[in-house]
Amino acid sequence: MYRWPRVLLVTASLVSIALSGCERPKDEQAQEDSDSGSAKTLRICFLPKKKGSPYFTSCAAGAKRAAEELGNVELIYDGPTDGSAAKAADMVDSWALQKGDVICVSASNPTVQARAMLKAADKGVRVITWDADTPAEARDFFVNQATEQEIGYALVDALARDIGGQPPVGEVAIVAADPSAANQNAWMKHMKVRLAEKYPRLNLVVVKFPGEDQKKAQQQTRDLLAAYPNLKGIWGISSVSFPAAAEAVLQSPWAGKVYVTGLSTPNVMKKYVVPADSSQPAVVKSVVLWSTEDLGYLTIRAAAALAQGTLKKGDKTFDAGRLGTKQIVGDNILLGKILVFTKDNIEDFDF
Amino acid sequence: MSLWRRIRAMEFWHELLLVGLLAGLLAGAWYFEQARDAEFVSWETQANLSSHMWEMALLTIPLTLIIITGGIDLSVGATMSLSAVTMGLAWRGGVGVWPAVGLALAVGLAAGSLNGAMVVFFRVHPLIITLATMSAYRGVAEGLIGAEPVSGFPAGFEALAEPLVAGVPPAGVLFVVLAAAAWVLLGRTAIGRELRAIGYNETAARFSGVAVARTKLLLYATSGLVAAVAAVLFVARRDTAKADVGAGLELAAITAVVLGGASIFGGRGRILGTVLGVLLLHEVRSLVAWRWNRDELTFIIVGALLILSVLVHSVLTRRKS
Repeated sequence: MYRWPRVLLVTASLVSIALSGCERPKDEQAQEDSDSGSAKTLRICFLPKKKGSPYFTSCAAGAKRAAEELGNVELIYDGPTDGSAAKAADMVDSWALQKGDVICVSASNPTVQARAMLKAADKGVRVITWDADTPAEARDFFVNQATEQEIGYALVDALARDIGGQPPVGEVAIVAADPSAANQNAWMKHMKVRLAEKYPRLNLVVVKFPGEDQKKAQQQTRDLLAAYPNLKGIWGISSVSFPAAAEAVLQSPWAGKVYVTGLSTPNVMKKYVVPADSSQPAVVKSVVLWSTEDLGYLTIRAAAALAQGTLKKGDKTFDAGRLGTKQIVGDNILLGKILVFTKDNIEDFDF
Repeated sequence: MSLWRRIRAMEFWHELLLVGLLAGLLAGAWYFEQARDAEFVSWETQANLSSHMWEMALLTIPLTLIIITGGIDLSVGATMSLSAVTMGLAWRGGVGVWPAVGLALAVGLAAGSLNGAMVVFFRVHPLIITLATMSAYRGVAEGLIGAEPVSGFPAGFEALAEPLVAGVPPAGVLFVVLAAAAWVLLGRTAIGRELRAIGYNETAARFSGVAVARTKLLLYATSGLVAAVAAVLFVARRDTAKADVGAGLELAAITAVVLGGASIFGGRGRILGTVLGVLLLHEVRSLVAWRWNRDELTFIIVGALLILSVLVHSVLTRRKS
């Protein structure tokens, strides 16, 4: 009546597929064990906010380079491809159960991940954060790409240079995101200090808060251009508001007269820095960021040093291999290398 | 009668397949993971990792009943988000933590009832209704809470996430109780037969005296309430109330139910199948994360499993007709 033998056959073949699927990694495992010889292999897990995004992929490239240089590091790179904070925390749980040596977290939702990190620490796994921090009690160190002051000053210096003139003169504005974003508020505080100290003739006329919403950011930039016809420059200080402000300026009669700068990755901003159609003006002259590869590299170096005991709480400096000596302020290891992309170098970066 | 027996038999084979896959997966993992420090197939690991699935598992029980009636509830993840945010804001606003839990449950029940009422009164497919409320509930939740998550709940509340029985937290116990209740309801009571009747032919069911509207309203309301319970459990586990709580869980829950053999067209589906579907989905995800550290691979394998599950059904059905 039923062809149940076939069903069983399907089941059996599936089970065997499942089994054979498990086989290969064991061979790899055996190989790793014999390769590493007597030196203890460190298992370091490297978690991005979102796997597959260009920014984090380039961070991972730096992490891999550090792991290769060190030689005794088994680097595990995984993260939620959908950016889910809950799934990221699940991954931390799973790694902690496997008793890895160090887990490095870029926190997309600091409190969700902090809970998993505290549990991992209970199991004896060392935890550090990189790129985006959690509450301090959940980790030993934070590998900080740049201080708030460095970012604020770099943003102001970049736009002042783009506007040009000795000294640069004119009206400028900021397109931020949410008024509650702590890091952006801190950057703006330092931007205002820098403006007052070094560029007294650049006059900050307004700060807009469109939220993390591209359409609103574009609309508010258009309003801004209409309301302040003598505007010389705009900062888009979130990864959403920067390209949105650039797009709004590009589509307006002010293109080529008003310059936009901010924080973003080079691939997103390339078309505004080096327009494909050379008759179009470049509305962006500088894109401010840090070296993402160096950030990944420094994170793995720090993780390995922490596991081996050469990096301890209270240290003031850290020997970061190829990157030289890095400063530690409190429990923040500072990468401290702002990178400015311009039309001269932006084509060299692909992320 | 012979139709009934045929369906029974088909579901039997489907469930046997799921058990086979599950056993194969665990046996394979056990055999090839022995060399490692920590074993995937050990009670400690499994009990610990199980905490990742209970919220999704709870959602699948009312969802199975809804799918049996030919409906669907896409809004469960968003309802979780709304309930979690309600709880967080109430607690931050100075309401005690347990009254805040009560409020969250009330909001979940209200959100589910609204779904049910609209499904009954508008006579539009629940897919459309709950697609709309999914978007609306999440939007409200995002708007209410803004960027700052609520955190730092008292230890007494977070004990909800601590192990209760053999390393399994209260959420797991609740799932077993809920699944057993649904199993009895579906297989041993008149209500169970009515649910299937609605799924096979709603008009016929109505003419045979089934209170279709009331049954549907109750089902969607229950689904909302269970989503709120899941949200509270998540908040206790991760100490965070934010609008992204429950994001994507509706799709995971539907995947588990369909993997378990329920027909999206209604009429067919069993609690045992759903439980197996939940377990298989969870084990696949956990093992891929454990062994291969490739999140993208999880999606591929889950997709392949789902297609396989549908394929087995279509092969079996075609053979007999």
